[in-house]
Amino acid sequence: MPETEAEIVVEDPGAPAGDSPALTTNRTVEIVVSLLLLALAMLLAFDNWRTGMSWDSTGPQAGYFPFYLSVILAGACVYGIGREFLPRRQTSETFVTRDQLRRVLQVFAPTLLFCLFTQWLGLYVASFLLVAGFMAFIGRIAAWKSALTAFLFSLVMFVTFEIAFDVIMPKGPLEALLGH
Amino acid sequence: MKRKLGSFASALACLALTTGSASAWEPSKPVEIVVAAGAGGASDQMARMIQVAIQKNNLMKQPMVVSLKGGASGAEALIYMKSSSGDANRLLIAYSLIYMLPLSAKIPFNWRDLTPVSVVALDQFVLWTNAQLPYKTVKEFADAAKSANPPFKMGGTGSKREDHVLTVFLEKKTGAKFAYLPYKSGGEAATQLVGNHTQSNVNNPSENLEVWRAGQVRPLCVFDKERIQYKTKVTDTMSWNDIPTCRDQGVDVQYLMLRAMFLPGKVTPEQTAFYVDLFRKVTETREYKEYMEKQALKPIFLTGKDMLKFLEEDDALNKSLMTEAGFVAN
Amino acid sequence: MEAFGLLVYGFSVLLTWKTLALMMVGLVLGIFVGVLPGLGGPNGVAILLPLTFTMDPTSAIVMLSCIYWGALFGGAITSILFNIPGEAWSVATTFDGYPMAQQGRAAEALTAAFTSSFIGSLVAVLLITFLAPGVASFALKFGPPEFFAVYLLTFCSFVGLGREEKHKTIISMTLGLLLAGVGMDTVSGQLRMTFGLSDLLRGINFLVAVIGLFGISEILLTMEERLALRGHPARISLRVVLKVWKELPQYWVTLLRSSAIGCWLGITPGGAIAASFMSYNLAKRFSKDKDSFGKGRIEGVFAPETAAHASGTSALLPMLALGIPGSGTAAILLGGLMVWGLNPGPLLFVEHKSFVWGLIASMYLGNVVGLVLVLTTVPLFAAVLRVPFAAIAPMIVVSCAIGAYAIQNAMFDIWLMLAFGIVGYVFKKIGIPLAPFTLALVLGNRAEDSFRLSMIGAGGDMRVFWSNGLVGSITTLALILLFWPLISSAIARIRPAVRGGA
Repeated sequence: MPETEAEIVVEDPGAPAGDSPALTTNRTVEIVVSLLLLALAMLLAFDNWRTGMSWDSTGPQAGYFPFYLSVILAGACVYGIGREFLPRRQTSETFVTRDQLRRVLQVFAPTLLFCLFTQWLGLYVASFLLVAGFMAFIGRIAAWKSALTAFLFSLVMFVTFEIAFDVIMPKGPLEALLGH
Repeated sequence: MKRKLGSFASALACLALTTGSASAWEPSKPVEIVVAAGAGGASDQMARMIQVAIQKNNLMKQPMVVSLKGGASGAEALIYMKSSSGDANRLLIAYSLIYMLPLSAKIPFNWRDLTPVSVVALDQFVLWTNAQLPYKTVKEFADAAKSANPPFKMGGTGSKREDHVLTVFLEKKTGAKFAYLPYKSGGEAATQLVGNHTQSNVNNPSENLEVWRAGQVRPLCVFDKERIQYKTKVTDTMSWNDIPTCRDQGVDVQYLMLRAMFLPGKVTPEQTAFYVDLFRKVTETREYKEYMEKQALKPIFLTGKDMLKFLEEDDALNKSLMTEAGFVAN
Repeated sequence: MEAFGLLVYGFSVLLTWKTLALMMVGLVLGIFVGVLPGLGGPNGVAILLPLTFTMDPTSAIVMLSCIYWGALFGGAITSILFNIPGEAWSVATTFDGYPMAQQGRAAEALTAAFTSSFIGSLVAVLLITFLAPGVASFALKFGPPEFFAVYLLTFCSFVGLGREEKHKTIISMTLGLLLAGVGMDTVSGQLRMTFGLSDLLRGINFLVAVIGLFGISEILLTMEERLALRGHPARISLRVVLKVWKELPQYWVTLLRSSAIGCWLGITPGGAIAASFMSYNLAKRFSKDKDSFGKGRIEGVFAPETAAHASGTSALLPMLALGIPGSGTAAILLGGLMVWGLNPGPLLFVEHKSFVWGLIASMYLGNVVGLVLVLTTVPLFAAVLRVPFAAIAPMIVVSCAIGAYAIQNAMFDIWLMLAFGIVGYVFKKIGIPLAPFTLALVLGNRAEDSFRLSMIGAGGDMRVFWSNGLVGSITTLALILLFWPLISSAIARIRPAVRGGA
């Protein structure tokens, strides 16, 4: 162990600029989320009403609690929306700036692709692609370092899960080709 | 990049090396026994016994893994098996839920989607009551239940399943009414009976064995046409064979539950043959025989046409019971 | 003192080089599976169980119980470092543990977690040693109304705690309860809210939701901010360890309360998960500085970890004495016992004395050896934070996906995890608290089932929740906690008046 007292400082050249324009405010997002939850609450309320939501001789039926919970959820959402429209509100905080959204998408888009690839190529190939791609393109780390790290990581995962612990992960054509 | 992929391939190939290549089919990966119930239940115990029997007697080269899929009252396991079509490294340890669940909960599942391997045992049901209660016979119990207010509580596993069906038929034959409490497992039903939160349950022998030995519960009768065959003393005074049948006690309710192994659908005949042979060997092991006696199961080995015939008849019987009990969803 | 003599006998069985070596192996394997995503305690122990089939029972118990300890310790590591709880009871550890790690106090948080785990388990082992027979009969007193009262108590200890706006807490909790209800309803055997999708049949798995809500959303949030991580390089930090230990005595009330809660809920079959939440909430409720919770307060790590491990350990007691496992991992150990032909039940303590006391002795030893082992590995784990974010982020994503998939072998769960990642990201930004959501998702079903079973048993009579001293006092306590803000302000109003009068 090196005996240093220095702090680790990780530099972040691609950090979002502080003055990036705001894309949307918390208020807008809150209203959208509330509306979505309201729709979900109504859908669930309907389904539970269909299941049976009364209180019969032996206590509540299967849909009883979920039905009233959906009603409460809907109520809380309506309250939230109503409050956002009250005039007394001061200006809302920024939900996300353009720079921030760009950075979030930089993680989210690869994650989404990773999930898609897992479905087709199996988890290990997808994980190699994700780690290597992310390190190289977003972390701007040298290609060979990225590829090597990704390969070792995927291999270690493979050995640990498939071989040592018999935990079976989704696999794709490459593994099939190698007889696994 | 190419070289890297090459080394990846060779590394994988090294790891993938497996032993031998005999002419008959053999599993090349660990075999998973899927249990459609929670930990510690009768299915889980049986799966572990099979795991040990196979491992100790070296009946198979690959290891066996028990995986518990008791979610959604066991429906999780059924859907899992159905979606594993063609995968011969996966076995379901099935019981009557394969007939009942599709009827009561409209689960898109039919046991004919799977490949039957063998029936390995038949399980009994016994009517139990708390030992502190004064009822020594079914008649005393039924009379007390008839006049009880609030009604006696009957514990069982799951809703609209074998335990619930038995309770309904017990009600029909005795005229008593029970408040049926669906617990998550037979173990829970047993403890709740001991804790006096219920007056009775209809557990399998194995589920109540330990509390019976501790003198906390009392068996009243067994739901079969004949007594259980095992005559070794389980408690100080009684053996399984000393429990009278319900029919002799004037309550003619009978139910036997299968314990059977299934492969997923679309497996080859060679693969099925391997497992048929494997389970035939399992039923010949000492572990299996001891287990049957200890848990008071009926040993049986059915496969092929016999098994299919058994399943069809059993399916029809369960369907009629479920319909009569009013548990079939519409 | 019969127990003491038996314990000494237990130690005499264990203290050989062979068993000590097995212990170390078990602990390392346990920590390993505890840290690995998607394995965690129960799965890890299940996978390693067959290793012990060929051993003699004593070696096998030692090995298994050490795997168990290791997995318990290991669970805290991912919670603190990456905000990914491996087990339900690690969730509360993330509330303050993760902020500490972000502030560069990862080593401190880990030490706190390990130490309090040790204390919690030690209290529980002492309880097991001296109270075993009595405790079993206490656990038997729990029927459906009692279970419901306990869950009610957990929920009530939570309501009205947060700084968030009330309607957002309500949204979060109702949503959690609703999602917990998806799938098959055990009491009626009916399907609900599945819309005919067979993937929803299983229900929404709690861990999948948590991995998304905490793990994935955290990566999105981290990315959004400036990645200027500042942390001390983790040296072999005897100083950190001593610093944390020096702080311990001032939190003795929290430690004691959390141990008590943990032990109590642990021996209540099925109550172990509630323990860490409840003790975190109570620590917060009775703290003078409520607002510092959730922002990296060390007490916020002590409380849930102590309770989690006290309950995790005492959960072994109902498993041994009644055959009812109090936690997922205990359930797998139960499977192990049955393999060796030991049927857990009331007679186990009578018929297999040497086994039971060997196990209890191995709990003491495993705990001590485990603490030393994990403390020495703190720097190793804390060093992970020095790896560049661009490398660690995708690896966390992969780990989360493995974790989500492994739980039920379902691709659907990976998508569910991703969806929960977005939900977590948005909720955190607009101030909808996630803690009530997770609590509701874990306990919602059990609370509902026990309520409905009580109703069936009582013929729909609500008075069943006051039908005996035990259930009555828990229910009343729950209601007092629920209205505590009102009650405390009422007390505050009376007190000056009294003082004025005197």
